[in-house]
Amino acid sequence: MAQMIANAVSQAGANFVDAIRLFLPRVVTTISIVLAGWVIAAVLRLVVRWVLGWLRFNAACERAGLAPLLKTADLPPADVLVSKAVFWLVWIGFLLSGVDVLGFTVLEGLVASFVLFVPRLIVALGIFVVGLLAANFLWRATLLTAVNAHAPSPRLLAGGVRWLILILAGAMALDHIAVARTIVLTAFAIAFGAVMLGLAIAFGIGGGHVARRFLERQFPGERAEPKGEDVSHL
Amino acid sequence: MAQPSLLPDELVQELMAVGQVDILVGLPTLNNAATIAPVVRAVHRAFARHFPRDRTVLINSDGGSEDGTRAIVRDLSMDEADTLLMRHSLRTVHRISAPYHGVPGKGSALRQIFAAADLLQARAVAVLDPDVTSVTPEWIQALVSPVRNQGYDFVAPIYARHPLDGPLVSQLVRPLVRAAYGLQFAEPQAAEFGCAGRFAADCLEQAVWETPLAQYGIDLWLTGHAVAREYRCCQAPLGPRTVAPGSQRPGLAETFGQVVGSLFTLLEAQDASWLSRTGSEPLPALGLAPPPPGDAPPIDGERLLQSFGANLRDLRSILDAILAPDTETALEEASQVRTERVRFPDELWVATVYQFLAAHHEGVMRREHITQALLPLYLARTGSFVLQHAGTDAAAVEADLEALCLQFERAKPYLVQRWTRTTPR
Amino acid sequence: MVPQPPSGGADWYKDAIFYQLHVKTFCDSDGDGVGDFRGLTGKLDYIRDLGVSCLWLLPMYPSPFRDDGYDIADYCSIHPGYGSMDDFRAFLDAAHARGMRVITELVVNHTSDQHQWFKEARSSRDHPRRDWYVWSDSDDRYPDVRIIFTDTERSNWAWDPVTKQYYWHRFFSHQPDLNYDNPAVREEIWAVMKFWLDVGVDGFRVDAVPYLIEREGTSCENLPETHDVLKFLRRRLDEHYTNKVLLAEANQWPEDVRHYFGDNDEFHMAFHFPLMPRMFMALRLEDRKPLVEIVERTPPIPDACQWGIFLRNHDELTLEMVTEVERDYMYEEYARDPVARINVGIRRRLAPLLEGDRRRLELMNGLLMSLPGSPFMYYGDEIGMGDNIYLGDRNGVRTPMQWNGGWNGGFSSADPERLAQPVISNALYGYQAVNVESQRRADHSLLNWTRRLIQARKSSPVFSRGSIGFLKPVNHRVLAYLRTLDREQVLVVCNLASTAQAVQLDLAEQAGALPIEMFGKSVFPRIGTSPYVLTLGPYEFFWFKLRRL
Repeated sequence: MAQMIANAVSQAGANFVDAIRLFLPRVVTTISIVLAGWVIAAVLRLVVRWVLGWLRFNAACERAGLAPLLKTADLPPADVLVSKAVFWLVWIGFLLSGVDVLGFTVLEGLVASFVLFVPRLIVALGIFVVGLLAANFLWRATLLTAVNAHAPSPRLLAGGVRWLILILAGAMALDHIAVARTIVLTAFAIAFGAVMLGLAIAFGIGGGHVARRFLERQFPGERAEPKGEDVSHL
Repeated sequence: MAQPSLLPDELVQELMAVGQVDILVGLPTLNNAATIAPVVRAVHRAFARHFPRDRTVLINSDGGSEDGTRAIVRDLSMDEADTLLMRHSLRTVHRISAPYHGVPGKGSALRQIFAAADLLQARAVAVLDPDVTSVTPEWIQALVSPVRNQGYDFVAPIYARHPLDGPLVSQLVRPLVRAAYGLQFAEPQAAEFGCAGRFAADCLEQAVWETPLAQYGIDLWLTGHAVAREYRCCQAPLGPRTVAPGSQRPGLAETFGQVVGSLFTLLEAQDASWLSRTGSEPLPALGLAPPPPGDAPPIDGERLLQSFGANLRDLRSILDAILAPDTETALEEASQVRTERVRFPDELWVATVYQFLAAHHEGVMRREHITQALLPLYLARTGSFVLQHAGTDAAAVEADLEALCLQFERAKPYLVQRWTRTTPR
Repeated sequence: MVPQPPSGGADWYKDAIFYQLHVKTFCDSDGDGVGDFRGLTGKLDYIRDLGVSCLWLLPMYPSPFRDDGYDIADYCSIHPGYGSMDDFRAFLDAAHARGMRVITELVVNHTSDQHQWFKEARSSRDHPRRDWYVWSDSDDRYPDVRIIFTDTERSNWAWDPVTKQYYWHRFFSHQPDLNYDNPAVREEIWAVMKFWLDVGVDGFRVDAVPYLIEREGTSCENLPETHDVLKFLRRRLDEHYTNKVLLAEANQWPEDVRHYFGDNDEFHMAFHFPLMPRMFMALRLEDRKPLVEIVERTPPIPDACQWGIFLRNHDELTLEMVTEVERDYMYEEYARDPVARINVGIRRRLAPLLEGDRRRLELMNGLLMSLPGSPFMYYGDEIGMGDNIYLGDRNGVRTPMQWNGGWNGGFSSADPERLAQPVISNALYGYQAVNVESQRRADHSLLNWTRRLIQARKSSPVFSRGSIGFLKPVNHRVLAYLRTLDREQVLVVCNLASTAQAVQLDLAEQAGALPIEMFGKSVFPRIGTSPYVLTLGPYEFFWFKLRRL
């Protein structure tokens, strides 16, 4: 009996030792992968920062209106942000493949889904960034046009346009990574509808004459230019 | 596919028959049926009255009018007085109307006119705006004679008008062109001009025709090109310029964008030729004595100033990217008084313009947005200037405009410094 | 015996080629330095060979020669220097025998102050001939009348110190105007005409016709009363003679000259003055406009009548019938040297005007021979003679004919100093370089070319009798016109430019016709309905007979 126990124990011990003997190199491998990954990611971060700096990425973001947005969100400058994102993506990739080496069956699916998830995340991010750019561009265009057309509350109008597009882009991005699809859809519908309604009310009540002027300009008939407007500035 | 030629075969046939000419007058048109006839008559009168011995041709380059403009130009008969006058001219009078191909706009029309001038070896070319109702034969004489008789290469007009008339020219275009190029053009972007055949031929060789400048800024470009290439320039007083009331001209926002955008783009393109220039020289004015200025235009200064403060607030985040902080602060301070007391001083205006120009050069945002953002400030400056000069006599206004020009010249080193600090992408 | 004139219909002048010459400077047979009828008679073969059909003689009457013979002292005899009446008759017979007619000058407006009539008229206020001239106590009558010889005369009135009155003169003060309000004057002038017609001349070139009558408040030109005088003379002529011609010198606009044809009851012919400067102008401008305009402005004339057209004559190239702008242009282009200008015109011969350019000489002669009207050639122009603008008045274009390279150019055997007019002797136009003899020998000389041109002209009646219609190709440097008579048609295309030109002619109405070039008889491509394309060298011209073959 005791022999049996001893056998079992020794067997278990041997097994454990075996397991450890088998597992230890994996851990070492994992640690080295993780460490190497960190180093590679860090180097990549530097390279990306350098390349972006060379490309004057920050100035471009400034022009696209991204910079003030980051500032309001208390985020670092754009090139730092991008290089950080690259660092984390790369390092998480290494981390996961390191864990994978350990051979935990539970974690295996996670790795596989992360590999599948990364490109979608990138595309979603891309969608969002494009949306952000578009939102900013149209915000500025709307603001300037509204100011120069003497439309009432140009900032409200331009802000409405900006949020409309941001919401749309955000919803599209979330939809793309398939996060809480139903909720996103519902929330989007509600938010979009609200903004549209707000705009409609704003335009209808406050900007009726703007609309009229717009229509008049499109269909010139016996329109009467407001006095003073016909003075040529040239 | 082969590129369509500047001169369609039919036009070449007609030009061949006309042969070499001394004077070519060009009329770029697009739906000008209502106003074209008197202009054509004036041109023929000018030929008969002032250039009876010269070989002349009138070329109408049309952008595809649908109101029969071309037919009017082609078939216009002269009334009895003109017929007598025409007999006065020794030579056959030629009048050609041809459609141009390519991007619609004055640029393509001018290009065709210049190509014709080159082909016909014209000594002098004059171009008129078909919308102007105050064209007289003397206009053509004034634009052509300096080229024909005195060897000038480019003749810019001087219109008889009140110094408050045309504020976009007097507040921005004229002083900026003067400070940049160092020549005192009264109307750097006029639809009428005269030039030598060799100038036309040289312009034809330039790349400008394929650029957006050709569409809206060709008048400015011609002035800039004449200065940049050191052609002999002069001015010709023409008299009052009135545009037909019914003519379809774009609204202020559009005009402003086109003019200022073109001006900024032009300065960008030709910076090699103006950065090193300092001061300015007057241009000889040839021909008729400058007629007395007209009445002050009915510009409502207060109305222009009305939304100055609100506009500044609305545009703050955009102006932040363009203007220096102290300039922005000064603007805000200026706007925080009652409308009729708003003062937009010369120094501030010049700083504003130069910072916008530098921002345009650096490309801090989309370039149309930069010019659009300048419009509210321009209106405020104009409003302030008009209010300040209500009831002032023309000479005093003239003196203050001169002071503004000098301020532009004085502040030029700042612009040059900002300009050379950043090389545009 | 009245000599028999050459054959031909009553309207022979319509087909005639006229040749204008001055007996004084054409040929001197007796070595006295002055040309004469015997000399001229000896040269008639030359003139006939040229193709001329009628001679026009400048005044050959006795005269003090203060206006080169236009100041006549005796209407009914020959200036002794030119020979005798018998010499003249012999010349006339010889010309007629060669098929050529002769017209002479009839200076009706005025006489010389040396004429017997004027001498008598100015002898006393009561003399019966007093009324043959126009007299006045003051010099302010007819203030609206222009002065013609602006270089020499300041008024149209001249003071007669003997009878203490002013007399009227439209030209020089030594040429008092006859008073045609006096019927006796008309009768006397008719008598003069009758005298010469009986001698055998074939007509008269009537000098200065617009000025015969004076009326207060008018310009005293082209007055109806003047026309009455002319109708009277024509009526008399028609009553007594046939096949004679009256040719008017009226330097007026075509619409004014038109009245001198009347209903074919005044003149048979009249000079077309405004056309001439416009031919020169068109050439210099390289633009057909002035020429086309003046031809189109010319009114139709009665069937029996004909225009006389010319390039140059014995007077200055007159610039009276042009606008001020045109005159300035002509002066600047053709008479930059102010000495070349006289009165309102240019005193130069054809060749120097065209800078001796053979191509331009040919083109201008081609125009002369193909435009509507009978052409008048001025002696010497057929060989391209030069001029001497320093000879005073208009004598520079009246120098002796250059026959050969010998003594005095073959004009006279007199000492050169004795010549009535000095011969041109410069290197370019002098008689050694330009003369009949040398040009006769060279087949391609201007003389022989002119002869061929005249032959070509005479080969078709369309030139003398046809209508004219201008084609107006867009190229204004090309002058093109169709001369049409019944079914015969000639197309004339001229390049007025010094550069080669292409032209497209709209000949749709002539579609199917075969153009045959009239000088070389070359056949050109058949005319179709599409524009007919021609290319022409500098100053080149074509005459095409359009044949329906």
